[in-house]
Amino acid sequence: MIRNHRGEVAIAYLFILPFVLTYGVLFLWPTLQMVYLSFTDAPLIGPGEWIGFENYVEMFDDRRFWTSVKNTAYFVALTVIPNTLIGLAIAMMVSRLKGWQQSLILAMFFLPYILPVSVVYRIWNWMFNLQFGIMQYPLTWVFGKPTPVFRTQWMFMPAVAFVTIWWTCGFNILLFLSGLRSISTDIYEAAALDNASRWTIFRRITWPLIWPVTALVLTIQLILQLKIFDQVYLFVQGGRPDPSMVLVQYIYSQAFQKNQGGYAAAIAVALFVIVIVFSVLQFQLLRARGEK
Amino acid sequence: MSPAKHITPQNKRRSNSGPSQDGYLNIGADRIAGEPQCQRKWRRGPAPREDYVKTFLKIAMLSTALLSVGSVQAQETVVWWDFLSGGDGVRMKALIEQFNTEHAGEIEIQPTTLEWGTPFYTKVQTSAAIGEGPDVMTYHLSRVPLGVESGALAPISAEDLAGVDLGPDTFAPANWEAGQIEGQQYAVPFDIHSLILYYNKDKLAEAGLLGEDGLPTGLDGADNFMAALEKLRGGSEYALSLQTSGDGTPWRVFYSLFGQQDGVFLAEDGTFFPEESIPKAVAAVETMASWVEGGLAPALTEYEGSVALFTSGAAALHLNGVWEVPTMADLSEKGELGFEWGAIAVPTFFDHPATWADSHGFAIPNNVGKEVTPEKKAAVLEVISWMNKNSLAWANAGHIPAYTPVRESEEFKTMQPNATYSILADTAVFDPRSTLAGVASPVYDAVANYISPAMNGELEPQDAIEEMKADLQDQAE
Repeated sequence: MIRNHRGEVAIAYLFILPFVLTYGVLFLWPTLQMVYLSFTDAPLIGPGEWIGFENYVEMFDDRRFWTSVKNTAYFVALTVIPNTLIGLAIAMMVSRLKGWQQSLILAMFFLPYILPVSVVYRIWNWMFNLQFGIMQYPLTWVFGKPTPVFRTQWMFMPAVAFVTIWWTCGFNILLFLSGLRSISTDIYEAAALDNASRWTIFRRITWPLIWPVTALVLTIQLILQLKIFDQVYLFVQGGRPDPSMVLVQYIYSQAFQKNQGGYAAAIAVALFVIVIVFSVLQFQLLRARGEK
Repeated sequence: MSPAKHITPQNKRRSNSGPSQDGYLNIGADRIAGEPQCQRKWRRGPAPREDYVKTFLKIAMLSTALLSVGSVQAQETVVWWDFLSGGDGVRMKALIEQFNTEHAGEIEIQPTTLEWGTPFYTKVQTSAAIGEGPDVMTYHLSRVPLGVESGALAPISAEDLAGVDLGPDTFAPANWEAGQIEGQQYAVPFDIHSLILYYNKDKLAEAGLLGEDGLPTGLDGADNFMAALEKLRGGSEYALSLQTSGDGTPWRVFYSLFGQQDGVFLAEDGTFFPEESIPKAVAAVETMASWVEGGLAPALTEYEGSVALFTSGAAALHLNGVWEVPTMADLSEKGELGFEWGAIAVPTFFDHPATWADSHGFAIPNNVGKEVTPEKKAAVLEVISWMNKNSLAWANAGHIPAYTPVRESEEFKTMQPNATYSILADTAVFDPRSTLAGVASPVYDAVANYISPAMNGELEPQDAIEEMKADLQDQAE
């Protein structure tokens, strides 16, 4: 059969054109624009003068920038690994259930994930309310008096991390559950015949075989939590914004409150680089470990 | 075909200028000529002919009206944005309705209320930049420097304003100039609003703090005020309620106490808190912290909570803006307050009376790429002028009218409780004039970051002021 290669290639290009166009216009172009913007002194809206690396120089000198880098890192540390481990633990428990029981329990764990962040904020702000919040009972038991959790500096990030885990854990459970289901029962049967203890089964079978899913969950979590904004922004309302400032929040405040579009873009580029470097590093690291 | 359907395309065609005059009239004609006729015929029964004649006459009259109106200009629509959502928002809606009724067929205001603070001002700036802003909006005069710098405001010429009888003579000079940048008008004042002290009459009487004139007494001076709070302590959960977290009230109270000592917030040379003003600022913060420290005022309480503490009777005194007057008045009228309330000017804690004040004004966004027709401009100016001339109704929301003829009218001078605290118009200290100051500005943020924590004992007042100074200085560069 004679094939018209050129024609085929042309048709192939034609087929990928809509995607390439959409990607270029909606993703690539804005990203390049953002990088360009970071070299100007543009306000929030409208063009600015080219000022070279001035924004970046200023950024390295900016106390608040470093505070937000630190806070973002702290938040990532508080959420990424705990969220993954808790997700795995709950998934393993749920996977022991059968039929409708499993569906019911799974649905209960997944429910928070479908809530919008504003609702999550309302629920937990109410739960922790100083006057009538139900969480004040355990807090009073621990600290001896009612505690304004979101107004106490050292408690703020851990509390937001706790709420975030409660909110997003359902999705990780789902990923882990599908991972657990793909492990063949033959392996478990063989292990049972050899009289392996439960711990050994987990360490030698479940953990290594679920590793690719764990690596995926960790990477998704890392990228997601580096971009933390909504929860911190909402819970800090009416409090002290600076000590708990995170990167995206700082970008928002520079761009929308202080009208510094160029500088905000420079911070956004910094965050962009951080996300890329860390997620690539982490994924490579995790894959290497998995293949060992 | 129903008459309503008949009208629709006509309206659609004119949708650029909003619902057209004849569109409205058609609806009216349909109602008068159609429904009542059937009803009357049904009820009365006999003499239908007489009715038909009447109806016919009405139709004839309306058609004449329709023809004559058709030749006149189509109705102007003025898109209006504000951030007034509380008790004063209700009064503003009533004012807008009255305007629309009085200008039926000429101008119609289409109002939208947005969220106060950063959300409002961000939306104004971004929408103006692409020509999608409103025709007129409310604006805090304290925010004018920032608004002009970010290019969100359009200048308003003196001739245009003079054309609707607005000018330097019809406002207090400081108030009028607050709407200017380098002599150019960008906003027209509408009111002066300030901080006042609300009080629970029953509780003050119990503590022996009411004078013979029925007004609170013995509150002036930081020590006397403290002593009064101690007396009130027994009678309620808190002697004084005020917002003690975030920005807002902490800034307003701080700036009042600072102003009572002639403190300079921003010097001519651009220095925040010049050397001799630092002790004054520290003294102000220390006074505020002393209320919370002794448990006389609630710690870490947000705005809504502070209002609720007073309205529920859990606090005897309440420091807040005049805009909560409608809240108290409405609750009292419905019999839901449970006590008699009053309001006075903020007591003098230091050298002389002074109270923080800001103004609501009207501004026109700098809608990029959108040409304003002379008719539209005239309509907007009429809105601004009418609102000021009718601002007595706005005074009902606790505010002091900016428009001098209204402020000096007999009706306003006898209006309560405004008259009791109207002295603050003379002792007002307005927000510093800077692109860093004003509602939802870096200064407001700095208050949340330094002054509020100092009030709650999380920071030493001295450190708080020094850090705030360094922070603002840093941002100014």
